[in-house]
Amino acid sequence: MDRRTFVKSAGGVMLAAASGGLSAPALSQGANARTLRFVPQANLANFDPIWGTQYVVRNAAALVWDTLYGVDETLTPKRQMVESETVSPDGLVWTFKLRSGMKFHDGSPVLAKDAVQSLVRWSARDPMGLMIRALQNELVAVDDLTFRWSLKKPYPKMLLALGKNNAPCTFIMPERIAKTDPFQQITEYVGSGPMRFVRSEWVPGAKAVFEKFADYKPREEKASWLAGGKRMMVDRIEWVIMPDPATASAALQNGEVDWWENPLSDLVPVLKANRNINVDIADPLGNIGAFRMNHLHAPFDNVKIRRAVLAAMNQEDYMRAIVGDDNNLWKPLPGFFTPGTPLYTEAGGEILKMKSLDAAKKLLQEGGYSNQPVTCVVAQDLPVLKAMGEVTADLLKKMGMNVDFVATDWGTVGARRAQKTPPGQGGWNMFHTWHAGADCINPAPYTAVRGSGDKAWFGWPSSPGVEKEVENWFDAASIDDEKAAIARLNKAALDDVVFAPTGFFLTYQAWRKNVSGVTKGPLPFFWGVSKA
Amino acid sequence: MLSFIVRRIIATIPVMGFVALFVFSLLYIAPGDPAAVIAGDQASPADVERIRAGLGLDRPYLVRFAEWLFRVLQGDLGTSIFTSLPVTQLIAQRIEPTVSLMVVTLFFAIIIAVPMGVIAAWKANTWIDRVAMAFAVFGFSVPVFVVGYLLAYIFALKLDWFPVQGYTPLSAGFGPWLENLVLPAVTLGMVYIALIARITRASMLEVLQQDYIRTARSKGLAQPSILFIHALKNAAIPVVTVIGIGIALLIGGAVVTESVFAIPGLGRLTVDAILRRDYPVIQGVVLMFSFVYVLINLVVDIIYTLLDPRIRY
Repeated sequence: MDRRTFVKSAGGVMLAAASGGLSAPALSQGANARTLRFVPQANLANFDPIWGTQYVVRNAAALVWDTLYGVDETLTPKRQMVESETVSPDGLVWTFKLRSGMKFHDGSPVLAKDAVQSLVRWSARDPMGLMIRALQNELVAVDDLTFRWSLKKPYPKMLLALGKNNAPCTFIMPERIAKTDPFQQITEYVGSGPMRFVRSEWVPGAKAVFEKFADYKPREEKASWLAGGKRMMVDRIEWVIMPDPATASAALQNGEVDWWENPLSDLVPVLKANRNINVDIADPLGNIGAFRMNHLHAPFDNVKIRRAVLAAMNQEDYMRAIVGDDNNLWKPLPGFFTPGTPLYTEAGGEILKMKSLDAAKKLLQEGGYSNQPVTCVVAQDLPVLKAMGEVTADLLKKMGMNVDFVATDWGTVGARRAQKTPPGQGGWNMFHTWHAGADCINPAPYTAVRGSGDKAWFGWPSSPGVEKEVENWFDAASIDDEKAAIARLNKAALDDVVFAPTGFFLTYQAWRKNVSGVTKGPLPFFWGVSKA
Repeated sequence: MLSFIVRRIIATIPVMGFVALFVFSLLYIAPGDPAAVIAGDQASPADVERIRAGLGLDRPYLVRFAEWLFRVLQGDLGTSIFTSLPVTQLIAQRIEPTVSLMVVTLFFAIIIAVPMGVIAAWKANTWIDRVAMAFAVFGFSVPVFVVGYLLAYIFALKLDWFPVQGYTPLSAGFGPWLENLVLPAVTLGMVYIALIARITRASMLEVLQQDYIRTARSKGLAQPSILFIHALKNAAIPVVTVIGIGIALLIGGAVVTESVFAIPGLGRLTVDAILRRDYPVIQGVVLMFSFVYVLINLVVDIIYTLLDPRIRY
């Protein structure tokens, strides 16, 4: 007996009388095939991709707003909204021409002034944008489709900045919306991307709906990640927010949703056993696990004590705590950059291969560790962080360190890690996090690897060697020069222990077999995805 | 009676004021920072500071409280830090699923628990009584989320009788609406059924010893008439009290149930807001729940007078 038969039987006369007969399913079979129901990694709590840089916002924004350039699967920026560009021989003046005929969802044409104002807003929030802004002479619209960006100094990574997939991306909005202060949220969600946002159906924490934009003109090229022709094969995409992984798993098995972005590794065997479901790696660029030590306070203000921790740690312990026994999902990472990408290097990574408690204890002694408590704040509501925190606490105890394990939630960690006060006065010594591999392919979006002291990311590492090599990378004219700079950077970052990488891990995605066109990438790409 | 109701409603004002002050103060001293959550993992400390200033979170406690209170008195619960939507709109979007869940749960609970308690008292110390009370102990002992997962596994995944998750508005039809609520309501109702059944049994046991019940029996009244007309009415005051108090349990239980069954209700709104430190939403929802709870107590007090004419206010 299936569901509807049961309900109809059980409901009986009373139910039928009360309802005038059971309603038919809301969607006909054809309409159902045109609607893709997707379970995202997190709640779409806000929808301003410049103001809020969470991955989930970027992923939704990629449907609604188009970008000037987009990286393809080879991580090469390709033209997207731009038809052509020229750069002056001295590298100081970039001139961009937009494709003609593009429209915003409100019907207005996409003009150069919209791109200019969008770049102004973007460049106030993005690390690469801030660098360009610091070099900027002027950014102006020349005519309806052309704009010019002139600089005081060449910026060789311009196209990467405009096409990268790291948040915030250069999403182009109408000028009136892009004039919003970058630290205030926009209130209109009008883009020129392949789907329009149905604000009236948005229930933050529960549902977000996107409908196909009929006037969208995809490029002729084949789609590849954020580049090429973004052809939508469905009319409607419903994001169904499910905070509980077990519920998402059951809903996918039951056919109530079509695609789940990030199944919990514990639930993957159940999904793999279901003949109606495909399971595959979500993002080949994966994630890099990490914990950060506070360089401002003892004991980690001493580089020997930071090195002691690196010498003792075994990345396999961390990775198994995160992904379990699936060996396809992790690999050791004796460095900071994403494996399999052009700039990956293991230079200076020997310390992470030592796995020696004896060496660690010797370093602790040399560093004069005197049993100060190590305040390790660990978010319990994020399984990856909880797992890593427990491994670290065990490691530190084995090293003979005095651990003050603070079990809390991510909201508290987020606030506490910003405190520069000593651990006993609301500060901290360690916290755990992870970085999307897509953010760790080069130093531009990789704020966590920077060693700019007071201006650096939480932990405030100071590493002149790292900073020098970041500059060298930005100025590099060839890929060989880039690789050499990154190798030196990696070594400097490990010597100074900017942070501790705990390994590289992958995650799965899962979808119903009647859905085709799902690809692997740093974000879920909906173009080309169809449903039978 | 009317003056009593008016007095009680007026009395809610200081209660609500105290709740407002308490909630605001609690959130003020609680650790956590919405600016850090908004800024994301890659933001610099300077970004976080600027966002905090933009949200007005760097201003003194009293200024923030006074501004919030002033707005609340005008019926404006503020704007969500994260969604930029009015808190009243967020509550309005979520209220139907939660109210639906509570109504269906209450319905199931009362039609199951009250007869169960009455029959258990009537058949006290027999196997029927023991089975009923064993069920009550089970309902108390098994956590809501375990019941939820079990029911979803059996009745949704294996038998495909009900959907695993979601909510269909009543406007889409009574059948689809009920279809989505059966499993969550049964899940949420387990504790409630256990509580009401036990209280009903205890209260009925006492009433069934009374002289007027013996008189009714000696007059030859039918057993159902004695139990449900004469005894239950007099045993109902503690039961009604428990049903009223139990609504607070339902509100708490709805948080878990709505998460397990992905129902977009107020419980999930509250949890999401707490995890992100969305202060205006937390304050608004807690204030609303407090108001509802005060009103429920008022309704319970009024029902007392209907059940027992000796009670006067």
